[in-house]
Amino acid sequence: MPFKLSDEFKETAGHICARYPRRDAALIPLLHELQKEKGYVAEEAMDELAKFLELPYTRVKAVTTFYTMFNRAPAGKYHIQVCRNISCHMAGAPDLLGHLRTRLSIEEGETTSDGIYTLSSAECLGACGTAPVIQVNEEYFESMTLEKLDALLEDLKRGRLRAGAL
Amino acid sequence: MPKLTIDGKSVEVPAGRTLLEAAQLLGVYIPRYCYHPKLSISGNCRMCLVEVEKSPKLVTACSTEAAEGMTVLTTSERVIKARREVLEFLLINHPLDCPVCDQAGECGLQDYYMDYSRQKSRFPAADKVQRQKRRAVGPYLMLDNERCILCTRCVRFCAEVTKTSELEVMERADHSFIDLKEGKALDNEYSLNLADLCPVGAFTSRDFRFKTRVWFLKKTPTICLGCATGCEIYAQHNENTLYRLLPRPNAETNTWLCDHGRMTYKTVRAGDRLNKALIRRGLIDLEPALREAATRLDEFKDAAAVLGSPWLSAEDNAALGRLAKDGLKTDHYCFDFSAEQGIKDGILINKDSAPNTAGLKAVKSAYGGLALEDFTTLLAGGKIKTLVTEANAYGLVKAAAAAARVRLIIFALNRGEAPATAHAVLPYASYFETAGTFVNYQGLRRATAAAVEPQPGVWPLWAVVNKLASYSGAELHIDCGEAALEGINFK
Amino acid sequence: MTDNILLKNNIAGLEAYFACGGYKPLKKALGMKPAEIIEEVKKSNLRGRGGAGFPTGLKWSLVPPDALGQRYLVCNADEGEPGTFKDRELILKNPHALIEGMTIAACAIGAAHGYIYIRGEFAAETEFLNKAITEARAKGFIGKNILGSGFNFELFTHRGAGAYICGEETALLESLEGFKGQPRLKPPYPALKGLFSSPTVINNVETLAAVPSIIERGGEWYAALGTGKSGGTKLFCVSGPVNKPGVYELPLGTAFKDLLEVNCGGMKPGKVLKAVIPGGSSTPVLTAREASAVKLDYESLAAAGSMLGSGGVIIIDDTQCMVRLLQVLARFYHHESCGQCTPCREGCGWLEKILNRLEEGTASHRDIDLLYSVAEGMTGRTICALADAMALPVMSFVTKFRGEFEAHAAGRVCGK
Repeated sequence: MPFKLSDEFKETAGHICARYPRRDAALIPLLHELQKEKGYVAEEAMDELAKFLELPYTRVKAVTTFYTMFNRAPAGKYHIQVCRNISCHMAGAPDLLGHLRTRLSIEEGETTSDGIYTLSSAECLGACGTAPVIQVNEEYFESMTLEKLDALLEDLKRGRLRAGAL
Repeated sequence: MPKLTIDGKSVEVPAGRTLLEAAQLLGVYIPRYCYHPKLSISGNCRMCLVEVEKSPKLVTACSTEAAEGMTVLTTSERVIKARREVLEFLLINHPLDCPVCDQAGECGLQDYYMDYSRQKSRFPAADKVQRQKRRAVGPYLMLDNERCILCTRCVRFCAEVTKTSELEVMERADHSFIDLKEGKALDNEYSLNLADLCPVGAFTSRDFRFKTRVWFLKKTPTICLGCATGCEIYAQHNENTLYRLLPRPNAETNTWLCDHGRMTYKTVRAGDRLNKALIRRGLIDLEPALREAATRLDEFKDAAAVLGSPWLSAEDNAALGRLAKDGLKTDHYCFDFSAEQGIKDGILINKDSAPNTAGLKAVKSAYGGLALEDFTTLLAGGKIKTLVTEANAYGLVKAAAAAARVRLIIFALNRGEAPATAHAVLPYASYFETAGTFVNYQGLRRATAAAVEPQPGVWPLWAVVNKLASYSGAELHIDCGEAALEGINFK
Repeated sequence: MTDNILLKNNIAGLEAYFACGGYKPLKKALGMKPAEIIEEVKKSNLRGRGGAGFPTGLKWSLVPPDALGQRYLVCNADEGEPGTFKDRELILKNPHALIEGMTIAACAIGAAHGYIYIRGEFAAETEFLNKAITEARAKGFIGKNILGSGFNFELFTHRGAGAYICGEETALLESLEGFKGQPRLKPPYPALKGLFSSPTVINNVETLAAVPSIIERGGEWYAALGTGKSGGTKLFCVSGPVNKPGVYELPLGTAFKDLLEVNCGGMKPGKVLKAVIPGGSSTPVLTAREASAVKLDYESLAAAGSMLGSGGVIIIDDTQCMVRLLQVLARFYHHESCGQCTPCREGCGWLEKILNRLEEGTASHRDIDLLYSVAEGMTGRTICALADAMALPVMSFVTKFRGEFEAHAAGRVCGK
């Protein structure tokens, strides 16, 4: 079945586009919406979005591939990102990452075969005072230790992604 | 009008001009990759950095507006160092492809390296970022992402000139690469301009691929005859073989050249190029063919007709006119062509696919003749037994002539363009092989120049007509193109 | 000790903010002429708190007062500079100071529309901010005919999508307009031609949040809180092996020693200070000795060969390998380069590769000079400052900790 933008999406898109004097300024917010719906931005979705905003496909693709937050392929149910920048590095991020690689048996950039976990490293997440920091989907987990990481993995195994620091 | 100094020389420029444009007026060359006079300013390659007094940093000449009193240095030590170092950055990830790259000899990196660098590499070849090579991205273009220096000229051309936006830079940092939609071809009608625009061998012509090294090529300035736009071009050739056509940028007509126009050189050595004549589909030398054709014309002298052609030069049309008036002594001839002229796609391609409709007005002025409609009616009427014309022009009266079973004497370059029913098909020299005068849709009169020699047995059309007439008992004395044009006034 | 202006407790909600005098400065500003508001901010010596430190009043005054058409006010909440986490704190603790500050700034420059460009990873913070904006709109502090003044100001948040470069003001504008975050050529500057080609002011969260207090108590009061040229307080973010890392609001001109010993409770037990990056990873590193002598303000840090930057203070102890840390930073800048211009796109990758070799123990001594040379070749030649942000740390690390680089080149790499 050919991909079509849902009516829900189009309605939300209408509200978002209205915030800007030019429709194409809504491109990035709308890509976020697409990703919220499906977990990633598919090729066909980019096509349809391009038509919706009356933009060349190449513009949509260039923008999608420029920004790191847009997944081009479906990610796992839980996308675990470990900050690897300087303060988190000094606070032990490499150990956390290594621990995750072992526990999940995947390398950075990979997804577990059951589709539950995707592991990546991330650049500075803007929470250096509580380093090391891990982001799972949209939640921040700060002042992480190996113990807290194991507890987090337990939660995730039970399908519980509790709110992070907030 | 700001007045400024560049390398000690003073220059005054209209407001809004850049330092690069100002330098150009002085004949000072500033190296550049991403800048192109017909595209928007990008300022990303950083090759054009120059020193401006009182400015702490070097500035890009392509994007800095010339201001009153500015003092610019384009060859100071800082500038020379910057050029060398920008080049070094460009070369670190550039593949060592020169031995197999068609761009060699006209490559921006090679040229600037020799002019501004010549330093040894400090970067291990094994560390070079690798990307896709040898991607056929359209009927005419090959893309090699490793060679690309990301100047974005190609992206801007497709966005701003053809407005088709097939290309964009995907991803970021040194993972960036030029890409187009998967499954889509880069087949806008101007795609080969990217091979010209690309300063390096990232975009190259598939047609030209591996055929020859550019330093062997000679270039002959001539005119494209693909349509009534009549772009100025260079025909590049060596040892009597044509290899490619390039645009010859000029203010009046063209900066670019369309893909169709670029391929027009192929007729010259196409497999079915005629270097002999055909009598009833049998190949025969020109001389006996002309004698046969002359006999046919004499058979029904007042039932012969001549049709000019907007695909032929003014000289060749004039010769046909002389054949009709002074050779056959008939008034069954026509030089009346009035196809609508003008650019049809907003860029270069003309509504009129014939190159000399405007030029024929002068021939018609000089010789008169029937209107095309009347001529067509005449053909259909049955009075005409023999028609002399050129293959493409024949297409305009085909139905009428075929219905009346008119015997055809057709001038053709290639066998494929001649009608199968023709009684005689006569070869003639193409306009890559001989000079010819053409007038484009703007009324500009230009001439082609011979880049290669015709094959033995192939002569300019006016010479063949001259011979044909003499076999028919009329001496036209058309010994050269200029002689053919006598009496033709192009005003 | 000065009272905090920005990091106050328990005023995140509109009721509490209002009860503490919030939105009174807005009312005052609505009765002032735009030129008067700008004059007050000029007097305050407030300088951009995002990292560039450009004088705020001056920036506002560059918007041509008689320019026709729309003007825009944009808040840069793309906090991405490693070591910096103050804007997040500010948004969560005092969102209305930002909203009020933006509305006052909009008055000053004649903007009817504002956007808060907030980094995509701050999903929770965006939601929090949206709630605060809704609250403010409901009470008539933003929207149409604010407080009956006839002034309109519509404010939206706009999420980024993961690109440090979007913290650069023109890259931010590009991203806001729905393009890749590739910085623009300047001139023209955003004050003349910014968002959607209209005159635009872009300011950091902290900068805008300081505006209400400046209007309330006057520019001179704000200026006096700091030093002669650096007015007001600054949010310093301290990360690293200290007892109390976090965000501290202190007057500009505070001694680094005091920040470390008094506010942060000193180094963790057993940790010895080796180096300090004072203003986010893009600022040159200071040795422990240099840091202990320096005051935290724009001028003093510049005189010490570094910068105040974002105020992201990264504390490095002597168990850390400077080569390894530089490698971490190099990987960051390489990843974040937008790729537009040659020296940055190629140079960042090159530097990371050299540092990889140094870390592996396969580099030579020549590679150390090469590191410096490549970094130099990147400075001052690019469209934006990311290349300089990569190059300055490289040059400062190599200069001040050369011994460690030499050791690596000799094959003595660390266990880490």
